[in-house]
Amino acid sequence: MTTMTPPQAQPLTELESRPAPARSRSYRALEPSRGGIVVRWIWLSLAAVLAFFPFYAMVVLSLKPGQVVELPGSLIPWQDISFASYEQVLSGQNILGWLGNTLIYSLVSVVAVLFLSALAGYAFAKKRFAGKEVMFWSFLAMVMVPFHVTLIPMFILMAGIGGVDTYWGLILPTLANAQAVFLMRQFIQGLPDDLFEAARIDGAGEFRIFLRIVLPLCKPILATLGIFVFLWHWNDFLWPLIIAKSNAMFTLTVGISSLQQQNVPLSTMLAGSVVALAPIFFAYLIAQRYVQEGVTGTGIKG
Amino acid sequence: MTTATSTAPPKNRVARVLARREARVAFLFVLPAFLLFIAFRFGPTIAGVGLSFFDYDISGEIAFKGLANFQRMIADPLFWRALGTTVIYTIFAVPISLVLSTVMALGVRRAFRGSRFFRSIFFLPVITSLVLAGSIFVWIFSGNGPWSQLMTPLGLGGSWLGSTVLVIPAIVIVGVWSRFGYGMMIMIAAMQDIPRELEEAALMDGANSWQRFRSIILPHLKPTVFFLAVIETTAAFQVFDVIYVMTQGGPANASYSLVYMLYDQGFKYFDYGYAAAIGVALFVMTLAVALIQRLVIGRQK
Repeated sequence: MTTMTPPQAQPLTELESRPAPARSRSYRALEPSRGGIVVRWIWLSLAAVLAFFPFYAMVVLSLKPGQVVELPGSLIPWQDISFASYEQVLSGQNILGWLGNTLIYSLVSVVAVLFLSALAGYAFAKKRFAGKEVMFWSFLAMVMVPFHVTLIPMFILMAGIGGVDTYWGLILPTLANAQAVFLMRQFIQGLPDDLFEAARIDGAGEFRIFLRIVLPLCKPILATLGIFVFLWHWNDFLWPLIIAKSNAMFTLTVGISSLQQQNVPLSTMLAGSVVALAPIFFAYLIAQRYVQEGVTGTGIKG
Repeated sequence: MTTATSTAPPKNRVARVLARREARVAFLFVLPAFLLFIAFRFGPTIAGVGLSFFDYDISGEIAFKGLANFQRMIADPLFWRALGTTVIYTIFAVPISLVLSTVMALGVRRAFRGSRFFRSIFFLPVITSLVLAGSIFVWIFSGNGPWSQLMTPLGLGGSWLGSTVLVIPAIVIVGVWSRFGYGMMIMIAAMQDIPRELEEAALMDGANSWQRFRSIILPHLKPTVFFLAVIETTAAFQVFDVIYVMTQGGPANASYSLVYMLYDQGFKYFDYGYAAAIGVALFVMTLAVALIQRLVIGRQK
């Protein structure tokens, strides 16, 4: 919930490869030579090792509890491996509870944000009603206001209506997502009107048209937006930090950061990190392109 | 129009009734999102600005103080420290991240064996929460971690997070690590839009790769660079997560950022009015930066 930026228009679907035109000699000249490829491989590999090193060290050191970390010996993955840190963090800490809270926070928000923003986006895109322009532009203007300006009043409000340390207090404020409404409106505007008109002539109610026709047509944008909202909630920190007060309500980010203040041993800390990061990495592994599009196509990481 | 109404009045009335019903339904469709907005965006924004003129703390007593919070802020050395830290962080993190994004995008923009693998690796930090990954960076930059051992020959050994000078570079490195992959993906998409013929023609004319980058790719990327510069600057100005998990603003407030100060004043000292004033200052500065960037880049065009 830290940065919100207006979504950009560039479609990223053609990110991977676009059909190559007929190969001319000049076309081939732009392709790097074999030597060029080798050089490129070398520097990219170096960069990849650097970028990946924190993950590697995280996993390896989490498997070496009770040792004084010595370099480079401690980074050899096959020596003195023990899963004791994982047992410790899984039994001694409420990490599975935090995982469950994070899942609730992320999944409920995704479903609600997608539904509400599609509903509003459809009305903004295809309907005429009084106050439409004013409403839409005030939505959009709110994207410019940093979340931090609203932090204190939101907390006071939540404390006043008993939302502190509850699921609904955590979730409800994050459903006001201007970016999502804007994105849905842009997408639905591009859909042909005839589809809705035909259904209307057949006598379908407005809500039925929305459920049966609009939502299925929006599948691609719903997937992209859903991944973005999910990741944002999964990684969200400041809002859960002030709302989730008791250990039983902690999300993963709040829980893991609380471990640091307890002076837990490094390997246990890292085991916690690995457990907390694993679900996202696994999802990334199976749906890489969607995740990349979800983050780059909609705006920004949280 | 008038003839149409006179020839088919019943149909028109039906259309009008239908249009009115449609408008009512459309309003109902927007209503839930709109109410959420009133409650959790508009309301708190106005309250946040309003609160900055009040003295309000955990005791619940509230008193109008005019500009007192802002006067206090201007006289508060901690505020200037936080502003300085934030600005220095931004000045380093944003350009480094932009350059790295561009270089990496140039490296993997065309498909070759392994290009997708590299893209995936470079994107991995983007989806990684720095809160969850923070402890490994605490170790990496600690006195016996790999980074300080690498830096010892340069005379920069020892814990970087324990040094009032080196703590900012350490946080910049982590910040850049977590963000460059995002810029890279945006850059790749923008580079795909450059017509091949342009680059081919330049190649035929004997332009080397630097010249091709300088006079074909870079001008084409200008709007993208602007877009990223605004986003990265906004994000850098709001730096919080890394600092919370890695340094808690220390040592000796050397990494104390504006949002960290807002959090500290609001949720450690429960000085809500003062915290709200810091929020307003943050808002004004974010707007100003976006405006300046727009002016500067607009002039270059």
